[in-house]
Amino acid sequence: MPLDTSTTYPLTRLRLDGRRWNELRLLQAQISTNPASSGSSYLSMGNTAIMCSVHGPAEGRRGEASGAAGSAGAIVEVDVNVAGFASVDRRRKAGGSDKQSSRIATTLRAAFQSHLHTYLYPHSTISIHVSVLSADGSLLAAAINACTLALVDAGIPMPGLLTGCTSGMSGSASTPRDPRNDELDPLLDLSLPEEQELPFLTVGTTTCVPVGENHMDDEEEETKVAVLNMDSKLHCTYIETMLAVGMDGCNQIRELLEGVIKGSNRG
Amino acid sequence: MATSIPSLAIPGQRLGSANTYAAGPGTHVQQANIFASIAGPVILDPAQPNTQSKATLRVSRVLSAAAQSSPTTASAKSKPRYNTLPAVDSIVLARVTRVQKRQAAVSILVVLDETSAPDADLAKASSDNDNIASILTSAANPENHSSTDELRFQAIIRKEDVRAVEKDRVVMEDMFRVGDIVRGCVLSLGDQTSYYLTTARNDLGVVMARSETGNMIIPLPIASMASGQYALPSDWLEHEDALGSSELHADSSRAATAVALAPNILSVV
Repeated sequence: MPLDTSTTYPLTRLRLDGRRWNELRLLQAQISTNPASSGSSYLSMGNTAIMCSVHGPAEGRRGEASGAAGSAGAIVEVDVNVAGFASVDRRRKAGGSDKQSSRIATTLRAAFQSHLHTYLYPHSTISIHVSVLSADGSLLAAAINACTLALVDAGIPMPGLLTGCTSGMSGSASTPRDPRNDELDPLLDLSLPEEQELPFLTVGTTTCVPVGENHMDDEEEETKVAVLNMDSKLHCTYIETMLAVGMDGCNQIRELLEGVIKGSNRG
Repeated sequence: MATSIPSLAIPGQRLGSANTYAAGPGTHVQQANIFASIAGPVILDPAQPNTQSKATLRVSRVLSAAAQSSPTTASAKSKPRYNTLPAVDSIVLARVTRVQKRQAAVSILVVLDETSAPDADLAKASSDNDNIASILTSAANPENHSSTDELRFQAIIRKEDVRAVEKDRVVMEDMFRVGDIVRGCVLSLGDQTSYYLTTARNDLGVVMARSETGNMIIPLPIASMASGQYALPSDWLEHEDALGSSELHADSSRAATAVALAPNILSVV
């Protein structure tokens, strides 16, 4: 099968790895994998594997956390390390972090800084270390999920689980969408070959407090988008579809993560 | 609205209405509803008749199977058996590891359990604190020093926390010697490296020590200590006089004896 998804997909309606458009890859996760840290997790989505460990909330370094920002609440530090053996061809890094990992770190820090209940821990630091062991697409989404699990394991209060997922379109989608002749399908949870040739976005959602009293009675909970990131070009008429598919994927992942958290307690 | 309380909470899960319950640790309130902030078993503390009118919902941090099996039955008497973390106001036994001009560095050996210690019911209890005697004798043994000190909680007794009176006259070298066992009270959790202890109370101070020749110095009632074979140095007498101690057990015939103290610190040579 050729690597060109855009030619094979319309014929088979199956993606390169045999999934349908709305199928997630196999998600496996564990928490409390590293007893030396406050909280830790291992998460794999398909062939993307991520280890995450959380330290803290601990007293911040002098001068950093004691400033004006630190007095309001804890400061979240994120450190992302993509292993040299993570992708297909081995990368010899000349030390430091590359552009990709520092972008993921910035996004994660912004997302969790505002998401966690940091006001409970003034003058302290929560440091998150993300290690990408194997990179096969949806890195940011997998990192969000791994961080959420590790933060839950660390017992850091948060309003809800923050989960991430990617969604894309099964073609270049550079022209306006035609509702009558819609040959492009949205795709859920992209792998690396798909990411490289298709437009995609990463969305992270969290459970939101529903508005109004009667909304509380049914179990259906509204979600709110906390992270949204897109690097590729796409006609704006497709965004809404991709966003809906991505948020649906986030809800699926949230249920999986809840199962992981509940399952780990029985052990 | 009779909603059942989930046994195991996950962050973001709704636990109940804020009108029915009070929000305890591990929960937060939004839109008049109580939500879990952390993962763990949900515990319902029954309402106290005097202080509060509503039962308190809290989420425990303990992820144990035992707590999970009976999630909503509050076990009020479940006190942790092991009391390993020093907290403010807890009484600890610590060994002096370094004496400096302004402070003495100690490492905390035991956090005393204030509920079980006075009972002396050592046969029943099964925590770390039971074999205090064995911990202390091994601790006072010079050969055991420094091997395990780095693994224990470090603490600092500052010069001004040594005793309550005549604070400015304290000479740290006369108060502590490396290897002494000190009973202290935790003043604060301190900084990243060490707790702060105080010995400025009548029941606090050096409780066990060895003389320069290595013999045990045994505390005597009130404020004295005696040593079996320890000859009292001449400057000791002066020191005692200066401190105005009247409890000196000087047994001149055996040239032995000894020692101790300032009003509340049992200082040992």
